[in-house]
Amino acid sequence: MASSEYIVEFRGVTKKFPGITANDDISIGIRRGEIFALLGENGAGKSTLMSMLYGMYEPDAGDIFIRGERVALSSPSAATALGIGMVHQHFRLVPSYTIAENIVLGMEPVKKAAELFPYVDIGAASKRIRDLSKTYGLEVDPALRIEQVGVSTQQRVEILKMLYRDAEILIFDEPTSVLTPREIEFLMDVMRGLRESGRTIVLITHKLEEIKSIADRVAVLRRGKLAAILPASASAQEMADLTVGRPVSLSPSSSSLRARFRDVVLQVENLSVRGENGLDAVKGVSFSIRGGEIFAIAGVSGNGQIELADAIAGLVPPCGGRILLNGRNVTSDGVGRRTEAGVSYIPEDRQRYGLVLDFTVAENLAIKKYRRAPYSKSGILNRSAFRTEAEAMIARYDIRASGGAGTIARFMSGGNQQKTIIARELSTDSSLMIFVQPTRGLDVGAIENIHRRMLGERDKGRAILLVSLELDEVMGLADTIGVLYGGRLLKIFPADRTTVGEVGEYMMGAAS
Amino acid sequence: MDVMDVMDAIPADGLSFAMPLLIMAIGGIYCERGGVLMLALEGLQGFGAFTGALSVVLCLPLLGAGSPCLVYIAMAGAMIGGMSFSLLHALLCVRFKAQQVISGMVINTLAMALTTFLTSVVNEALTSQVSNRFQIGASERFTLPILSRIPIFGGFFRNMYPFELVILAVAFVSWHVLYKTRFGLRLRACGENPHSLDAAGGNVGRTRVIAIMICGALAGLGGIFVAYSVSANFSPSIYMGYGYMAIAAMIFGNWKISPTFAVCMFFGLTKSAGYQICLWLGMTSNYTDLLLVIPYVVTLVLLVFFSKRNQPPRALGDPFDKGKR
Repeated sequence: MASSEYIVEFRGVTKKFPGITANDDISIGIRRGEIFALLGENGAGKSTLMSMLYGMYEPDAGDIFIRGERVALSSPSAATALGIGMVHQHFRLVPSYTIAENIVLGMEPVKKAAELFPYVDIGAASKRIRDLSKTYGLEVDPALRIEQVGVSTQQRVEILKMLYRDAEILIFDEPTSVLTPREIEFLMDVMRGLRESGRTIVLITHKLEEIKSIADRVAVLRRGKLAAILPASASAQEMADLTVGRPVSLSPSSSSLRARFRDVVLQVENLSVRGENGLDAVKGVSFSIRGGEIFAIAGVSGNGQIELADAIAGLVPPCGGRILLNGRNVTSDGVGRRTEAGVSYIPEDRQRYGLVLDFTVAENLAIKKYRRAPYSKSGILNRSAFRTEAEAMIARYDIRASGGAGTIARFMSGGNQQKTIIARELSTDSSLMIFVQPTRGLDVGAIENIHRRMLGERDKGRAILLVSLELDEVMGLADTIGVLYGGRLLKIFPADRTTVGEVGEYMMGAAS
Repeated sequence: MDVMDVMDAIPADGLSFAMPLLIMAIGGIYCERGGVLMLALEGLQGFGAFTGALSVVLCLPLLGAGSPCLVYIAMAGAMIGGMSFSLLHALLCVRFKAQQVISGMVINTLAMALTTFLTSVVNEALTSQVSNRFQIGASERFTLPILSRIPIFGGFFRNMYPFELVILAVAFVSWHVLYKTRFGLRLRACGENPHSLDAAGGNVGRTRVIAIMICGALAGLGGIFVAYSVSANFSPSIYMGYGYMAIAAMIFGNWKISPTFAVCMFFGLTKSAGYQICLWLGMTSNYTDLLLVIPYVVTLVLLVFFSKRNQPPRALGDPFDKGKR
């Protein structure tokens, strides 16, 4: 075969799951030594395609060629033997094992003590791991346990795991979704270093700026089909349009109406909240939000944003200060009473706090109102009311679920899970909506949809508290921006009287 | 009764009670460290004791009573029996991803009914007498030469059953296997995060089946040791809760071998001490029973304080499903 121009080649690969064609006749060639990006919405089939390359699924039709030869990738160990490695989106690590143990797992160097008792030679492995981390700038201490280190170190461990196996083709599945901006820059440097050492990288992502900054070429997948292969120099707008399949707007500030502020809805006075570590995570924060206003909290991750949002939603009790909702003191009310008083909450961890993953869409949508008629009567649930209401909401909020109202939430894509939560929270007639990282991990189409909803609700006169780590999102949506640094609200700006640079400086705490 | 006799009997009896518990608990540790719930220890030890005793009864006419081979035949029979019966658990939990609590209970109930029935049938065929027990006698006891003269602790080394040393050896080897070998590393990964092993190219299903089989073999050994020593026969009275106590010891011992050893010794010594004190004081059986409850009450109280720090394997009880997010 004259196709050895490509180190990896998919030819007409198709993969079907019950009820869905995840990959439909996909042909892609990846060149040796390039960073090749796979772009697509959630559920477009990027991860499925790469899982086949890593031997976790086998294609139903079509062939995969590695270094010009047709191969059968029946298991991850078969892929490993061919020099293919993968960093999964959810890390595959054992929390109670040391970094060294995690790296050698599956490829343990075995020695024999007294010619009789075989044992795993962790000492030799640790030495090799130290050498590898030095070569590629991936600093880790092999003796630490995974549960003792942070997410970015865990990711380094996953990368080292591939390098330890001498992988030449490295697959990264949305590697930046868990990282802070600084860690992302670091990862990009590591990836550039890996490319320089002659390795081939496949990057699964839905962030256009990542593709622009490090990829050489990009394949766009849409609903299981290959939409196009572009050079990374193509415009972001073109990539976004191909991803979604229609023209999309990349900047969120496209509200037709100017904000019209009404009465104060939320007033936070001198609020302090204790974090999980027992120290004050929020220190004497005061601000207010008016109806028709989006108040965005900007800040680097871990500066008290989550604790602040949780305290306002009623998930954690504050240790000082007051929270007034429409003039009423709700500081000592629990979540249930605050919900009734008009607070909606879209939490950061949508799978843990936002949904019951093994419940259906209809049940998840009814979870805040099942106690009322018509959803229940004398303690008996009325399932048909659940269904009717859910079907209406699925249509209104464009929730894509293969089995309609009866779809189990776990089997929906992240974007549609988020839409389900937002649909539920918007359908209650609340005056304050708290959005924490509402677009985290979502693709451009879903992000646009959610931004549009937020602006729509603002224009209807609701007060919106947005907590986001994405400065672009904050700048694009907010009417007022507050910067949280070290648990203190350093500064509150009207959004039209500040710049990205100024907000960024406060985020680093420099302007204090 | 002499105080010295009591002081001698407490460690010896305690050890003969604690060691079968320990080997069953170690079996449970293999299984649960691999992520599969093991509530079937009671059934597995009973089935192992049955096959072990059956092997002895069948070989007795050939070898004659008192043959030293009988012990080994009993052990081999018990291991093979326990291992084969545990395959049922493997089939249900690993292959068919069944609810693991139910599978364990099924095995316990099935073992009891099946062995009782089969014992009667075999007895009728061999001796034309209806009996639900196999008489196999108790194995010889021995005293270790030097160690037994150590003051106080010497009692542990007098009147020992040979199997007690076998079990201690199993405990040492198991510690090495679980914490130092490739198999142990992979096994514990199965119990903590099976996806990690799968992604690293290991085989979760195979590792778990091997763990279940080791568990079955060890539980079977535990069963035959009880039958061969304390009770001197196989009968349905073998199902008196040893398997459940072993589970308690494993949980109390935090799924680790040395703490589990300590817990088993605690169970054994409190039990034998209570019993000996009753004998010594010449109490009536009502009070004896009450006194024998003490170790379990103490265990319950201690569990309240210790269970917070206990860390079961994270993936314990979850059937492995590759596709689950």
